[in-house]
Amino acid sequence: MADITLEKVVKKYGALGVVHSIDLNIAHQEFVVLVGPSGCGKSTTLRMIAGLEDITGGIVRIGGRVVNDLPPRKRNISMVFQNYALYPHMNVRDNLGFGLKIAGQSPAVVAERVAEAADILGLSALLDRTPAELSGGQRQRVAMGRAIVRHPDAFLFDEPLSNLDAKLRGQMRAEIKKLHQRVKTTVVYVTHDQVEAMTLADRIVVMRDGHIEQTGTPMEVFNHPHNTFVATFIGSPPMNLLPGVIAGGAVQLADGSVVPVPVRAKAAEGQPVMLGIRPDDISPVGHGLSQDGPGAELALNVDLAEPLGMESLIYTRIAGQEVQAKLYGPRIVLPGEALTFRLALDRAHLFDAASGKTLEVR
Amino acid sequence: MSALVESRASKRAKAVALWLATFLLMAVICLPGLWVVLSAFRLNREILAKPPVWVPEVLTLLNFGKIFGWGEQQIGIPVGAYFTNSLIIALTSTFIALAIGMAGGYAFARYRFRGKAALFLGLMLFRAVPGIALSLPLFMMWSKLGLINTKAGLIIVYVSLNVPFTIWLIDGFFRQIPLALSEAAQVDGCTRWQAFWKIEFPLARSGIASAGVFAFLTSWNEFALASQLTRSTASKTLPVGLLDFTAQFTIDWAGMCALAVIIIIPALILTFIVQKHLIAGLTFGGVKG
Amino acid sequence: MIRALTTRRAETVPLLLLAPALITMLFVVALPLVFSLWTSLTPYQLTKPQTLYTFVGLRNYIRILSDPAFWIPFGRTVLFLTIALNLEFAIGLGIALLINKITWGQRSLRTIMMFPMMFSPILVGFQFKFIFNDNIGILNNALQSLGLSDQAIPWLVDAKLAMFSLLFAEIWMSTSVFAILLLAGLFAMPRDPLEAAKVDGCNAFQVFRHITLPFLMPFAYIAMTIRSLDVARAYDIVKVMTGGGPAGRTELLWTLIARTGYDNSKMGLANAMAFVSTLLSILFTYYFYRKLITARRFMGGVQ
Repeated sequence: MADITLEKVVKKYGALGVVHSIDLNIAHQEFVVLVGPSGCGKSTTLRMIAGLEDITGGIVRIGGRVVNDLPPRKRNISMVFQNYALYPHMNVRDNLGFGLKIAGQSPAVVAERVAEAADILGLSALLDRTPAELSGGQRQRVAMGRAIVRHPDAFLFDEPLSNLDAKLRGQMRAEIKKLHQRVKTTVVYVTHDQVEAMTLADRIVVMRDGHIEQTGTPMEVFNHPHNTFVATFIGSPPMNLLPGVIAGGAVQLADGSVVPVPVRAKAAEGQPVMLGIRPDDISPVGHGLSQDGPGAELALNVDLAEPLGMESLIYTRIAGQEVQAKLYGPRIVLPGEALTFRLALDRAHLFDAASGKTLEVR
Repeated sequence: MSALVESRASKRAKAVALWLATFLLMAVICLPGLWVVLSAFRLNREILAKPPVWVPEVLTLLNFGKIFGWGEQQIGIPVGAYFTNSLIIALTSTFIALAIGMAGGYAFARYRFRGKAALFLGLMLFRAVPGIALSLPLFMMWSKLGLINTKAGLIIVYVSLNVPFTIWLIDGFFRQIPLALSEAAQVDGCTRWQAFWKIEFPLARSGIASAGVFAFLTSWNEFALASQLTRSTASKTLPVGLLDFTAQFTIDWAGMCALAVIIIIPALILTFIVQKHLIAGLTFGGVKG
Repeated sequence: MIRALTTRRAETVPLLLLAPALITMLFVVALPLVFSLWTSLTPYQLTKPQTLYTFVGLRNYIRILSDPAFWIPFGRTVLFLTIALNLEFAIGLGIALLINKITWGQRSLRTIMMFPMMFSPILVGFQFKFIFNDNIGILNNALQSLGLSDQAIPWLVDAKLAMFSLLFAEIWMSTSVFAILLLAGLFAMPRDPLEAAKVDGCNAFQVFRHITLPFLMPFAYIAMTIRSLDVARAYDIVKVMTGGGPAGRTELLWTLIARTGYDNSKMGLANAMAFVSTLLSILFTYYFYRKLITARRFMGGVQ
């Protein structure tokens, strides 16, 4: 069983704390993505699991055994580095077989496993080339191949797609997902790109400043963010946040306009709040995703419209603050147009203004 | 129309001037050395002839044989012994300096520790001490230690002469190798020691080789310290031999030139090799993704 | 880094790796320097070994600084250095500009230009001793054959001519360092300011003086810093070409020191002189280093 648990794990460089006591349980064969802005501690956490960083405090277990003092080679994990770290002086075949040779496997076993991995990743024709003769995507696959030949308990990925151009990134994302379905092994994947997180993860772990802000499935994190940070980090374009105050049982915005409290949210009278609503959930009447359910209507002027084909991104203002909205359909919107917008209240969120925590009741 | 012709003429004039300057430059650079090399193959009676003989009538290898003590003519300078001394001393000190330099260079390239910058600067500053200045106290110390006129004594000195520059070079070469390669090897199952020998060392090999060449040349060409710390054929090196030769046999120019040629040849060959290695070491393409 | 770098335990690895280097340098360089300092404060003579343990304070230094027999070689050395560095810079600059302009065979030209650097100072000295020899040297022979002179010119004997010969040898040997560094600078120079200057109306010379030259100065100062550390290399060349003579006419600091220490056995005095001379080269180096820093600061806006 290759589950991974982190118990109160801490990482400090001298007096500087980088990871502040995180707890995490990763189940066997689960694909977990650590996502967050740069400097949030996700790479450090990954490297602590790998054994490339000392663990200042707490316990890390892989497959039930405590690995804190074990060097990387004794943890039975594989890692795909951001820059692939392929051995430039060896060809692809030797790169793939290196770990097995070090472990003392017989040449027959090495050849067999290398052929297997090459077959899975489509590298069979490239076995005699050196890394210098490969394209970016090919190098990526060799790095993954090197990881799978050893049949480890877990794969660790450290931002493997950030060096690829957008189109290649999309292709490789799909390949990684297919690989996980085929070679069912625990994966811990680090990225700063929330799209990768959403598309690849069984579970997402959102991190900031060395803390875990929220863990959950992609849809959980998207639909029920625990705080304003997660709410604005996940989802693109990001969620709009409007400051307001609870007055008379409703949300009163900065300019006095009143919006009913979102469904399932509870707040006290006079409490300063942030109303969160995704651009997908503010649309001109008749051009939104859903037209029924609880909603509020506002008359707004369009500042700017960015046509994206079958949808348009609209920039407008609510209570003096710039807000993004979406229009679904081929209708052309002109700047300065006045439209009535509908806010879907069953999809809106309410957060406490001071702490940023969600006021949703489930 | 005339302006065009004018500018074309001036362009041609510029080109000619450029070529003339280049030719002059090459002449000044190459002629002195070539003249010495040529003279090494001539007979003394031609060199000393008055009026001077410009086109050599006879070319011979006699001089080379002579200085090594073969053939009928012999000279009092045991060049063969000096050659062996130079070779042994240069090779040994290079090998030791490389070993020390690899350890030190790796330490600077891969680790962070207190006082690192100061230590680095200090090591480099040691190299700034002039050879003669160092030779004075070393002469006294080595006398007391019985290291005067021994190959070992000179080897120890040359090691310290080469260590700073070797560390500096090797540090630079190790820095070019991404740490991720060593980490990947460790994740793949290597200990740190194994990762170094299987991954980092092979990749830095050409850089270490060129550091070795520099160290060899420094030892091979060194004069100031060698002249004071050696006394006899037991340890005298080729540069010292050359000076002895010029001091004693002031008319055997052909022999002196032959000796000079022997000293320069390894230097030329090695420098030529280093050039290629330096270029090769800079073109590893598959390191970064 | 694989293991934490800030725990005490982990710091021992790099220090262990550096231990051989440190031990070597301490024993072979630092210790002798301390010993040399001590010796300079004694009247030590090799022929009277017991004088090593007499302490006379700064007597040697005072004697040196008040003795014209020291100041003359000192002045000669400073003059030698100054002329050499300036000429090496100017000629090196010319060579760099020349090579920069040449497109065909540039690679081979750069290789050939590096030839003089491969010669050890002893070889360079010998080479020019051979060429400048008044009897059989090729230079005199050529001049006489061409009818430009009717007598043997004493290149290595006459005071002024000997200094010229030494300078020629030194410049021949070390101009390559400047040329290579300045060429690297020329290659690294961004084209835009040059083109902007041309558009602004500068002719070739003005472009050179106001744009190219200031950009190259940091490279020039790097070369000068390196070269001034090599002041002692003047020893090898002088020793083989003239031996400091005849009659001390080409005596430079280091040949003087060597003679005082080894020929005259006056070790205490020689060590004191060595410290004074080393101070000189450190001052030169520091001077150029400061200029390098200043010049570099202006280049921040360029790159």
